[in-house]
This record gives sequence, structure tokens and C-alpha cells, in this order.
Amino acid sequence: MQDSSSVADGPHHKLASQRTPLSRKNAGRALVALASLGALLVLLVQILHASGAIAAGFVDWRPILYAYLVWATALGVGQVMIRGERGLRALFLLPAVLFTVAVVIFPTLFGIYIASLDWNLSSFEGPHFNGFNNLIGLFHDNYYWNALGNMVFYAVAVLGEYAVAFGLALLLNAEIRGRKFFRVVFLLPLMLSPVAVSWMIGKSLMEYRFGPAATLARNLGWDNPAFFAHPWIARVSIEAMDAWVSIPFIMIMLLAGLQAMPKEVQEAAKVDGANAWQTFWHVTFPLMLPVSVTVLIIRIIFKLKLADIVINVTAGGPGGATDTVSSFIYRVYRDRSNVGYGTALAMFYLLMIIVLLTVLLRLSSRWTQKVT
Amino acid sequence: MRPNRRTVLKGAASAAALGSAGALGAFSGPALAQDNLRARMLQIPGVGKGAPTDADWQKVGELCLGPTKANVKEGEFKGVELSFMGLNNQNLHNLLFRGFLKPWEAYTGAKISWIDLAQADYNPRLQQAIATSTVDFDILEMGAPFEGDVCGKGLASEMPDWVKKQIDIDDYVDYLKPPVGTWNGKTYRVTIDGDCHNFNYRTDYFSDPTLAKSWKDAGNASEWGVPKTWQQVQAVTKFLKGKKIKGQNAFGYLDAPKPWGGFGFYFLGSRATAYAKHPDDKAWLFDVDTMKPRITNPAWVRAIQDVVDALPSEPADQLNADPNTTGFQQFLAGIGAMVPWWGDIGQVAKASDTSVIGDVVGFDILPGSDDVYNSKTGKWDKLASGPNHAPNCAYLGWGVYVMARVASDERKHKAAWSAAAHLGGKDLSLWTVMYPSGFQVHRTSHSNIDEWVAAGYDRNYITSYLNSQFGSYNHPNRAVEPRIPGIFQYYSIAEDELTKIFAGQYDAQTGANNIAAAWEKLTDQIGREKQIALYKASLGV
Repeated sequence: MQDSSSVADGPHHKLASQRTPLSRKNAGRALVALASLGALLVLLVQILHASGAIAAGFVDWRPILYAYLVWATALGVGQVMIRGERGLRALFLLPAVLFTVAVVIFPTLFGIYIASLDWNLSSFEGPHFNGFNNLIGLFHDNYYWNALGNMVFYAVAVLGEYAVAFGLALLLNAEIRGRKFFRVVFLLPLMLSPVAVSWMIGKSLMEYRFGPAATLARNLGWDNPAFFAHPWIARVSIEAMDAWVSIPFIMIMLLAGLQAMPKEVQEAAKVDGANAWQTFWHVTFPLMLPVSVTVLIIRIIFKLKLADIVINVTAGGPGGATDTVSSFIYRVYRDRSNVGYGTALAMFYLLMIIVLLTVLLRLSSRWTQKVT
Repeated sequence: MRPNRRTVLKGAASAAALGSAGALGAFSGPALAQDNLRARMLQIPGVGKGAPTDADWQKVGELCLGPTKANVKEGEFKGVELSFMGLNNQNLHNLLFRGFLKPWEAYTGAKISWIDLAQADYNPRLQQAIATSTVDFDILEMGAPFEGDVCGKGLASEMPDWVKKQIDIDDYVDYLKPPVGTWNGKTYRVTIDGDCHNFNYRTDYFSDPTLAKSWKDAGNASEWGVPKTWQQVQAVTKFLKGKKIKGQNAFGYLDAPKPWGGFGFYFLGSRATAYAKHPDDKAWLFDVDTMKPRITNPAWVRAIQDVVDALPSEPADQLNADPNTTGFQQFLAGIGAMVPWWGDIGQVAKASDTSVIGDVVGFDILPGSDDVYNSKTGKWDKLASGPNHAPNCAYLGWGVYVMARVASDERKHKAAWSAAAHLGGKDLSLWTVMYPSGFQVHRTSHSNIDEWVAAGYDRNYITSYLNSQFGSYNHPNRAVEPRIPGIFQYYSIAEDELTKIFAGQYDAQTGANNIAAAWEKLTDQIGREKQIALYKASLGV
């Protein structure tokens, strides 16, 4: 303990190393206990008031927030009073932890609670407990499973994006002329909002009658270039737009990995007589696997949230062919005000993503170890 | 820029103004002054003289302050603060209201703060405010379909009698009179808009001699002309496939199969009402006593099948066309011969530079049907009076409502209603229906063709347009929007199923059955008994 405090202010150091007096500890404990009790009381009153059990209560739930803040302050002060310097160190961590609890943990748990409710905003009775009915409804919901099927396509398509991005990254890593210029140019799509992309490209460039893409298609022999009328053509079109926005992200991550790679290995391969492809496949690619896995995982997470382009361009059509889980949940929430069911869909999706990614990470770490 | 249209309209305006001056001599003194005010107001800035600006809206608001001054003393609402929630689509709605209300604020001393919403966000925001009891606005621009959600839950303030007098509430067209705007016999709505689907068609298509000859050569006994029934619409659409007009591909009717936040369902409704709305039956969407959906009946299934049959004759990408596309990117841009839409097409066709069909567009009420389905007998009836027409009075238009929360403060209550009454004023409304505003005709006093011509509209054009609007509003067999809570949820669910039918995943009857099942589930979720009662109330049964 003495070693760690190098810049010691003599008296302060002496104070911190003294054991905290019992009275201070008790005062600290009492403070925390009092604040906890107060917060719980406020919460209890409001819950009873909201459920109609008692008449007294607050207009809204904001006092709970204030009670939480008071409790958090009391907890921080209490930590210092009870544990002294260790408490002071805890204060560095406490705000972040409490903030995370408030804006991540609590909403997630509250979301699970809402997912168990039958809550249509237009319903006269208001929300009421539904048990597992939302989950059962989910399993019978054709739209949800159709959207999940589409997500498989979209997720697999990430591999195609990865291949293109890797090619671009290799290009940018090579000593080509205008490298810096191309790096900026290739990054531009990433800076666009997907909504802007859906209008610029989906509704203007690919517009059936006058869009440049349609005109080009006609010149190439496709008489009726309707990009969003046939299910598979629509899926590919949506995927193309999303890929155009996202490939720069994969590319820049891979480029960073390529630039961090030791040059000696590639030079050694060249000396050994390996051609370009062999160098890539046996040297570059395996060395890049950790970066590749990271970027693929991140990209898949984002891909599974695809919604805006679909909502703007096809509204999930034709006949649900391009519908994603997020765009379906959007409709359930926005157009049908079916809050309980929509939350259940979202929570189940979250669970599926967590399971999927855990499996993916396990598999990829095993494969990465094998290869490298 | 199209200088030709502007100079033509300028010339027409001055010529018509000279022409109509003679007719004014027949009116008495005060009416003459009022007409002068209306005529003066309509010249701000002048039809065809460019889009109105905030300065113009303020001038109009100032001119129309008379009725307010009669009921409110200057500075009477000093210190009162009101909040107004409305739309900002196409830079209209709230943007106009701000201009109109600025002179009102200056006169009365009240201050208004604004909540602007895009149309797509409107319903969720409103539902959220209602469900979480966080109504944070005093005045609301709202569509009639939501009256069930708002008035049914007691969130709106009842209209005082002095407001009814100020806005001359009896001037509303028939279909916007009670029960629309009322709940349990109480009036809540200041109507500022009327809504119905009319039939917009290309006059050049139906007067084209080449097409007329081809029509006859194809073995059709009837004359080539504007369809009057849906059966004729189908025949014309299939006939036009592969034909050309003025060197361009010809297309007939334009369907809007893509979901549009629930609004797309109205377009199927427009096809279906002539089949499904029997003159002897007030209901057409649900059975009155049970809320059992009628969408599975032969009338609705026939309408859905019509869409399926017509789609191969429509543009190749029609599956991805929502009503915005059919109205603005297709029809107004010169594609297609027929489209149902709200009155916006008529407002925009001549006045906007994005329209190329201003001189070749005609208007009518929605086509009828040779036969109509009778829900009671389960048979198709052929009416003695001829084809059955049932104009689709879809959405019922925007209105201004005052929220119940102003009731606690007497001055705030009067101020909120005064603002609403100013926006809903008789003279102000004439300006809003003539200029880009988002609002269409809704008062009998809007039907004076001379006023429109004096403002700069072409007589033939405006006669055709107004006849299609008023002919729909006043039609004895009009199909009026059900104003039950959650109505857009029904529409949204239906849209999703319909895309599957139109994409060929299943047939019309199976799809209709799926819609009905989903609607039944929704009715139970919202509360069946209450829905039945509210549906009956909305029909005036």
C-alpha cells in the first residue's frame, strides 16, 4: 500500500492509511440504508398508485429517478465513509456502473416485463399481463419467420461483402498511384445515411422509368428492369444497396489489419517462390483471420439490424420478400401500436442473436487457432 | 419554370375578374363587402404567381381576423400560453398555421408554441401521448379516424356554441356534419379539410382517335370513353396493355399495392365500395352488431381479384408502387390513364411544376358497378337506378381539436377555442382550399365556381374538379370512414396480407380470410363490446 502512493502529501497519506473510525462507518452504513429505504418506499408508493391500490402517489415516475440519484449519491458518499480510501477508488467506477444499470440493465429487464404484456395502445383496458401468449403468438407468426428466413440470406451475403472489401483493402494496401485519393473515395458511401441511400439509389437511380440504372439495364437487354418487383431481384437489390454502404467499413478494418501485418512474412513467401494467390491464401489470409473474424462478427451484428433501407424502398415487399425482423417490428410498433407483442419479438430476436454470436465466436476461435 | 401557364393564368385571372365584377352587383351591401374581402384575399399572392410565403399567410390571417375581433377583446389573452401539435408535410399545415395565427397572437396577446410532426410519425406520437397520459399539447390538428382514440377516451374539449356560430358550422358539406366530428352527441372538431377519393383520368387517352379505332377493332360494342364502372375500368386497362399513346407506352388504371402506413388500404377500398356498399346498408367494412369483418365477402374478394387481374397490364414495377408513387411519380408525371386519389391531384395538376398533365386531366366521382353485393341476402343485386356508386370518403380530412386539459383555466379555454375558430373560419378556409395547404374543399360555400375562376382557375378544369369532390361528399350512398379506435391498425394488417396476395403467394379468398382472422384478433385485443358500440356510433346507427 505504501509503495503505490508515490506522490504522497504527507498529512493526506497519513489520514488515508488510518483506519476509519467505527462511528464514521456506522454513519456511512446508516446513510446508505436510509437512502435505500427511501428509494424503495418511493418506488413502492408509485407502483401501488399506478396499479390503483392506493390513492396517494405521484403524477409520473420522475420521482423514482430523483430517488435513484439521491440513492446513488448516498451510496458514493457511504462508500467513502465506510471504506475510506478504497471507497474513494470505488467512486471512480461507481458512476459508470450506476449509469449502465440505469440505461442498459434496467431497460432490458423492463423490456422483458413489457414483452409479457398484452398492450395495444388503442386498447381500452390498457396493458395487462399475458404470460407466455406473446411468445406462443411469435411461434405462429408467419411474418416473423419469413423475416428470419430473409435474415439468413442477408447474413450469408456478408461473406460476399467481405470478399469485395478484402479485395479493395488489398488494392489500397498495395503501392498504387492515387492511393490516398481512392481511400477517401471508397470510404464515402459509409458516410451516407442509409435513408439517403434508399432515396438516392433505391428510388432515384433504380427508378423503373427514368433511373440511370434502369436505363443501363435496358441498354444491356433487360426489357423491364423492375428491381423490386420480383422477390429474389428485390432481395439482391436491397442487399446491393446495403453492401454499398457497408463495404467501406469492412474494408477500412481489414486495411488497418493489413497495414499492421509484418512485411517480412510476405517477403519471405515471395523469396520462397509463392505467387500472388498462394501468398494471399497461405500467408496473408491466415494472419488476417483474427481481424477478419472481428470485422465479420461486427458486420453481422449490424446486418441483423437492417431496417431503414427496407422500410424506405420496399416496405418489406414484394409479398414480404425483403422484410427484415427490424422492419417487421417497426410495423408492429408504429402502425399497429402493439407494444407488448413488438417488444416480445425484439427480445426473442435479441436472445437469438446472442446465442448465434456466442456459437460463431466459439467456432471461429477454434478455427482461428487451427489455422494459425 | 413554365412561364406559359403563368401568363395564361394571369390573363385568365384579370379577364375573369372583369367578367365576374358584373355578377357582384346582385348582392347586398355587407355581403358585397364580405365578397370583396374574399376576392381580395384570394389575390394573395394570386393563383399561378408562385408558391405562397409566410408573408402571404400572415396577410391572409390578418384579413380574416374579423370574426375573432367580434368575440375577443384586444389583448384579452395576454399571458396565456398554448401549445399546438400538427403536421409539417410538404412544408404545409403547421407552417401555414403559424402564419395565419401570427396576427391572431398579436391581437389577442396569447403565445403559441409548436410541435411539428411528419405524417408518418403522427399516429405513433398521438397513440403514445394517449396511452402514457402525456398529452402535452392544448390544440391538435388531427384526422377524423382518430376521434375514437381521442374523443372516445375523453381527451378532447367540447366545442362551445359561440365557436359553432363563429365558424358557421352549418356550412360544412353533409358528410362532414354529425356524426363526423362528434362523439356521443357532443361536437369536438373544427373541420378544416374534406377528404374523399375521386377518379382522376387523362382526357387525351379517352379522346384519342387511334385508341378509339383499336377499341372498336378489338370487338368492343361500347364507345371508347371514360369508364363509368369498375367493370369498364378493368376492360380498358387490359385493352391498353401494349398500346402506345403519343409514342409512349400506354397504361390504364394504376393500383398501389405497396404498404403505406395503413393509408394504402383506402385504395383497395376505393375499388371495393361500389361492390360492397349497398344503398340499403350503412355498413360496408364490418357487420354492425358483431364487428365481423366483411372483407371475406364476395364484394371485397372481387375487388382484390380485380387488382390481381389488372396488375399484369400495369407498369412492370407496380408491385413496388405506393400511393405516393401512383399519384405523384406516375400519374402527374404522365404515366397511366386513371388513378383514384384524394383531391391533391386536382390541386397540384395545374399549379405545380412537377405536373405535366395539367391540360389533359379530368375528374369524376369514383366509378360504380353494374351490380352490388347485398350482405343481408348474400346475393348480387342489379339496381333499378343503374350502376351502384359509393364514393369512398376516405380519411375524412383534418380538423383542429382542443384538448380537455385547457378546461382548468377559463382564459386558456377561450384562447384555445378562439385560435381553433380562427383557423377554421369560413373565409380563411376558402384560401386554404385554393392554394397549396394540404386541405381540400369541405364547405358548401366552397362550391361557388365564379370565386375560383376569379382567383385564376380555368373554368372547365375547376368545374370538373369541384363536381367530383362535391358529387362524392353529397352522394346518398357514400362510404364514410369508420372512426373506431385503432382503425389504422386494421388497415396496416390488411396491407401486409394484401402484398402477399398481389405477389401471388396465395389467392384472393385465402388472403381475405387471413385478413379477417387478424382483424378479429385485433378487435378482441382492443375490446370487442366497446368497438361495436363505437362502430355503430360512427355510422350514426
